[in-house]
This record gives sequence, structure tokens and C-alpha cells, in this order.
Amino acid sequence: MLYRTAGQFKTSYTADQALFPIRQDAYLLGIILIFAWVVFPLTASEFTFQTLLIPILIYSLAAMGLNILTGYAGQLSLGTAAFMGVGAYACYKMVTIMPWMNPVVAILLSGVFSAGVGVAFGIPSLRIKGFYLAIATLAAQFFLVWLFEKWAWLYNYNASGAIQVPNLKMFGVYIAGPQADSMIQYFVVLGIVTLLTLLCINLTRGNLGRTWKATRDMDIAAELIGINLMKSKLTAFMVSSYVVGVAGALFVFMWRGAAEPNLFDIPLSFRILFIAIIGGLGSIMGNYLGAILIVGLPVMLNTLPQTLGIPISSAMVEHLNIMIIGSLIIFFLIIEPHGLARLWALIREKLIIWPFPY
Amino acid sequence: MKQFARLAAAAVVASLGAGAAIAEGLYTPNLSYRTGPFAATGIPLMNGQADYMAMLNARDGGIGGAMIDFEECETGYSTEKGVECYEKTKGKAIVTQPWSTGITLQVLPKTNVDEIPILAPGYGFSPMADGKVFQWAFNIPAGYWDAADMIVQYIEGQGSLDGKKIVFLHLDHPFGKEPLPLMESLAEQKGFELVPVPVGLKEMQNQSAQWLQIRRERPDYVVMWGWGAMNAGAITEAVKTKFPMENMLGVWWAGHDADLKIVGEDGKGYKSISWSFPNADAPVMADIKTHVVDAGNSQSNEEEMSGVFYSRGIIISAILGEGIATAQKHFDTAEIDPGQLRWGLENINMTEERISELGLDGMVPPFSTSCSNHTGHSGGWMLEWDGEKFVKVSDLLTANVDNYAELIASSASEYADANAPWPVNEDCEG
Repeated sequence: MLYRTAGQFKTSYTADQALFPIRQDAYLLGIILIFAWVVFPLTASEFTFQTLLIPILIYSLAAMGLNILTGYAGQLSLGTAAFMGVGAYACYKMVTIMPWMNPVVAILLSGVFSAGVGVAFGIPSLRIKGFYLAIATLAAQFFLVWLFEKWAWLYNYNASGAIQVPNLKMFGVYIAGPQADSMIQYFVVLGIVTLLTLLCINLTRGNLGRTWKATRDMDIAAELIGINLMKSKLTAFMVSSYVVGVAGALFVFMWRGAAEPNLFDIPLSFRILFIAIIGGLGSIMGNYLGAILIVGLPVMLNTLPQTLGIPISSAMVEHLNIMIIGSLIIFFLIIEPHGLARLWALIREKLIIWPFPY
Repeated sequence: MKQFARLAAAAVVASLGAGAAIAEGLYTPNLSYRTGPFAATGIPLMNGQADYMAMLNARDGGIGGAMIDFEECETGYSTEKGVECYEKTKGKAIVTQPWSTGITLQVLPKTNVDEIPILAPGYGFSPMADGKVFQWAFNIPAGYWDAADMIVQYIEGQGSLDGKKIVFLHLDHPFGKEPLPLMESLAEQKGFELVPVPVGLKEMQNQSAQWLQIRRERPDYVVMWGWGAMNAGAITEAVKTKFPMENMLGVWWAGHDADLKIVGEDGKGYKSISWSFPNADAPVMADIKTHVVDAGNSQSNEEEMSGVFYSRGIIISAILGEGIATAQKHFDTAEIDPGQLRWGLENINMTEERISELGLDGMVPPFSTSCSNHTGHSGGWMLEWDGEKFVKVSDLLTANVDNYAELIASSASEYADANAPWPVNEDCEG
């Protein structure tokens, strides 16, 4: 009913291959964008910005980067957090060496460094596959975190070994550091995430995305039909690490404000991998759904007992929270092993043919 | 059905009202960690803090007539959750107690904008002692540099340090690296050789590599800056390699009874510097027993309450309580705001008389704070493990703060420069 496609005729290939072949999808996205750009900023409190909106966007972006590598190109990676770290430290060095630099430009440029590092660590993927590759990316994880600890130049010889985001201005307003307003930070994050999402959607739909998918589905067959595997795998590592690096820079500069090396350790990599898997490998929207479930839901559950006035100790809430999220993950993966995005796709398909299923 | 809906609505409204009713009084949230990898050390501290405040509420009806709303927000020692808790509580909080060096570093720049005092007793960033630069941050009653100085003083009391070798076994983390600059300068002054041995977060439980290195180095002393699982790991490893325990000394966070109970008699001689001491005969313990434990409001137990960490929790809450009381007296109002509490914390004068008035005899050394001195530099006692419990083995040691006042000032101004614009307290003299 809501998703009735009757009357939407495609008269050209261009129309059929458009981003939204079904008009309702475009409406739905429009509504979501209005919420993200207008309604949330007008209504959200600082708590909502800092614990829900900004982190969900940043985690989604990081998961999207990983999803390009693992979901689209089929190269399993466990080094996501380390690549985020490269982005964050690159951004920190850039803004401290060149304080006049526009912070947004610095954030976007920091992805270039992580892309370089990503390609270097992606070279083993030309020889090894699957779980073995995962172990090779694990090496990146250990090595880079070790480097963040030992190379004092990276954190400007700070005694504590942590990096602190300085106050950064753009067009006369603070956009990073403790003086920055949460709403402005949210808009910066939202702008960058929207931009990169658009880029990723189109990349994965285009020529490059098709070579990635071919590589993922069967690399020998892909090679036989003339796809250059080296190019395909390394571009996947490059684009993925770029997006992950930008997410890392946003993570520290727009949200955390300070970071110590062990922040970029394996638990963060796993967290992002879980977001990508639960959201759905090989989908863009899945990253957002996964991030809402893994990052957003615990925060919402945490505030629930207090809003309802249930007298329950904070440690107990934490225990309950872990149990609820854990069982939800199991539940969703049982009813749809391909993730939340696939679940939504099935619901949407059912809605299109409703009320006359065949 | 309709009636059920009405009943349900009524219940929700009533519970909302009840929630609001609890929130009255002075809201002093604590970012606790009763879950996660450090829970074993967190629980006794949190219990001590909560029980002292509960005792004040039950015995005196709060402080100065205002009830203390001592709510916990669970972080599990995770920085991410810590920031979430800070954001959640900062609206009506008069103080924030971040409870981890990671969260402190994160919250420190924000408190300057939000203007909420940050109380980090015995942890956090040592240069926070400079109250002119760190207007809103307090690490009362002693910082890590004080601890390092006192430990070196104690060792020196056993003979000149010239030509001696000291291994500095520390967690490879902002917390563990904190005393390094001071230890290095002390090594230069006193002529001992300093060998820093870092323990990575992943190696906390298995320190065989580090202890192999220590055996090879044959140090005269091992000074340990450990936390959580690292302490138990180091102590068991020291026992295994037959390192003379009396030559092993730790910071106050490395003096947890449970860590030593694992080795029992073998740990005899192990020392830890501390600015708090469990005195079972202190009046405050009896009050907590009658008003909190017997009323069934404590989550603690007999064994835990006799430990160092529980009593440290009590001291931490007592410091906060004293700050509140000082502010209330000065501003002549029970319901103080964060700015007034900052004045209170800056003007604590914990004399021997005041300590026994509060019933804390022998549990904390006297100290006083001022607007330029946000630490108090109380000094501390060297505690020694006698096989069953910690006992005092030294008189009160006080840190030689003048020796590193310059280091504090330069580190503080470095921080302020890196975070410019950083408002400093211009009104503060000296």
C-alpha cells in the first residue's frame, strides 16, 4: 500500500538504473534527511548530540569503510581501529604543525595517510585470502598501536602519551576542541558523513564496485573475465582505509577530544566489525542500522530506568544492558543472518507486493 | 481496558514524580566502575564513598541541612561510557568524579567550559596542582609526583641512593607514565640509575618478560606504578622469582589488600605509599556501622571494610564533604552551586582537630588547599604488608614540593598553551 509501485513506469535505462528506482525510497530518504538536518538539531539536547547522534554517525562511517573492504571486496580485515588511529594521528600532526589549516580540510586529508598505510598492509591480500588475510591485518593492528605508543613525535612528546584536540576555528567559530558547540560539531560530522556516503553509494554501484563484487564472489572467475585483481583489491583497501581514516579523525576531533594509543586497539576493531556484520555486509544502509543497534541502543537503555523512575542501581543497569544487547544481536542474526539491511529489504519487498502476495 | 490504561498512566506519572523527588539536594554523581576489568579494585572504593555519604544523610541529614544525592553512573572504566555519564550528569551536578585517568583527561578541558569542579583524589594529571591554570580541577590530597617523591625519600632513608639502581615498573598508559619526568629528574639529583620497565595493557597478567629483565638488571629496588590486574601479576611474579619483597614499593593504587592476599605470607615486606589508612577504631567506622551497615544499606562486607581501599573511599567522600561544608559556611547557603563548591574545595583546611572532629582519626594526614594549590600535598605513610594486612611503617612523609614546583608550573602552562584559549584564574595570588 505504502510501497505501491503501480504507475511508476521506466521508459529508459537511465531511469531504471537511477539511485531510487522506486519513488517511495526517495521520499523515505528525504524524510530521514530532514530529520537529520533539521529536526534533530532543533530538538536535541547536548547529551543527545554527544552520546547518540555524533557517535552513531561516526561509527556508521567507520563501518562503511570496513564494509567496502569486507562486504563489497570480500577481504576480511581486523585492522580497522588501527587505520582509524592513523587518520586521527595524521590529523593531529597536521593541525599542530600547520595551525592555520582549515580543520575540515585536515580531516579530509588525514584519510589520505591512512589510505597509504592501508594499501601497504593490503599487499599481502594479493597472496593470501580469508582467515589468513585477517591475521595479516591483525599484524597492522598490533604494529600501528605499538607505533602510536613508541613514536613520541606522533603525540608531540606529550608526557602522558595521549593526544589532546586543541581548539580549532573555522570561519570564526570553534568546530573542534572543548570550546566547540555540540550542534556545530554535529553539522560538520553530518556534512562529511553525508558526502562520503554519497561517494560510497556511487562507487559501489559503478564500475569499481562491480569489480570488487566480482572479486568477492569468486576471484579466479573475476580474473578470467579480465579483472585485474591487484588493482581491484588494492583500490578496495585504499578507499576503505580512506573512509576509515576520516572516521578516525572525526572520532577524535569531533567527538572524543582526546585519545590514548590503546583506544585504537582490537576491541574497537571488533566493535566496528560487529556493526558491519549485524548491519549487513555488502550494504551501505546496514552500517547505520548496525550502529544504531550497537552504539545507540545501549545509551537509550541506560537512560530508560531513570526516566521511568525505576529505582535500580547503575551497575545493575549495565549488567542488564549487556544481556539485552547480547540477546538482541543473537535474535537478529537468527531471524536474518545477512543482517539488518537484508531484514529491511525483505520487509520492503513484502510491502511492495502487499496485500496480494504470490 | 480503559481503566487499565488510566492506571498505567497514573503509575508512570507517579514514578516520574518519585524520580524527581529523589533528585533534590546536592547532586554529587560518581562515575563508578563496579563492572569491567577493574571492578575488583573499584567496588571497595565505590562502597566506601557511598557508605560515607549514606552515613552523613542518615546521621546528620546530609551536610549543612542539604541531603546528598550521591548517585552512581556506571562506566566499567571505559572512557566512552565515562563521557556519556559526564554528559548525562553535568546538568545538575555540583561536582564530577571521573575515576580514571582516561576519563579525567577527556573531561578536564570540558569542565573549564561547563564550569564544574572535577574531583580526582590521588589520580589524574599531576600538574592539576597548579590551581591558577587548572581552575576547576582538584587532585586532593596528593598527586602522583608527590607519591614518587615520597617513595624516593623513603628509600633514601635506608641509605644514600648514589650508584643504586631502581627499576620503575609501570603500566604503559598515561597513568603509568605520569611520574616519569619527576623520577628522571630525581635520578639525576640523587645519582641513582633509573630503569623504566613498561608493562603493556595486554601483558598485565603475564609479566614474565618484564621480570626476566628485572632479574637481569639486579636492581636494588623496584618501584611499581600499577593498577588493576597488573599489581597481582607483578606481585606473584616477584614472589616466584624470589625478589626480596621489602625492596618492592608501590604507588597507592598498588596497595590493594586482595592483591596481596593471593601471596599471603610470601608477600611480607611489600610496601605501598598511601594517604589513607584503615583505622577500624575511628569513630566514623562505628557511625557507618550503626547508620548504614546495620540499617542494611551497605553493599560492603566486614572483610572489605577493614581494607585500605574501602577506607580510601571514605576519605574521598570526606574530602568532598569538607569542600561542601566549607562552601556552605562561606556563602551561608545550604544549596551551593558548582562555582561555590569550587571555592569550598579551594579553602579546605583539614587540621588534626578537624580530622578528629569528623571522626577520621589516623585515617588521613592533615592538609590544606588554596586557590593556587589544588592538591594540598598532604604527604602520606609508607604501609607494609605483614602477611595479613597493611600496617604503617613510617612516620608521616611529606613530599618536597618545592623541588618540582617548576616542573608543575611548566607542565601546566604547556597544557594551557596547547589548549588555548584556556582561561586561567587571574585573581589568584601566589
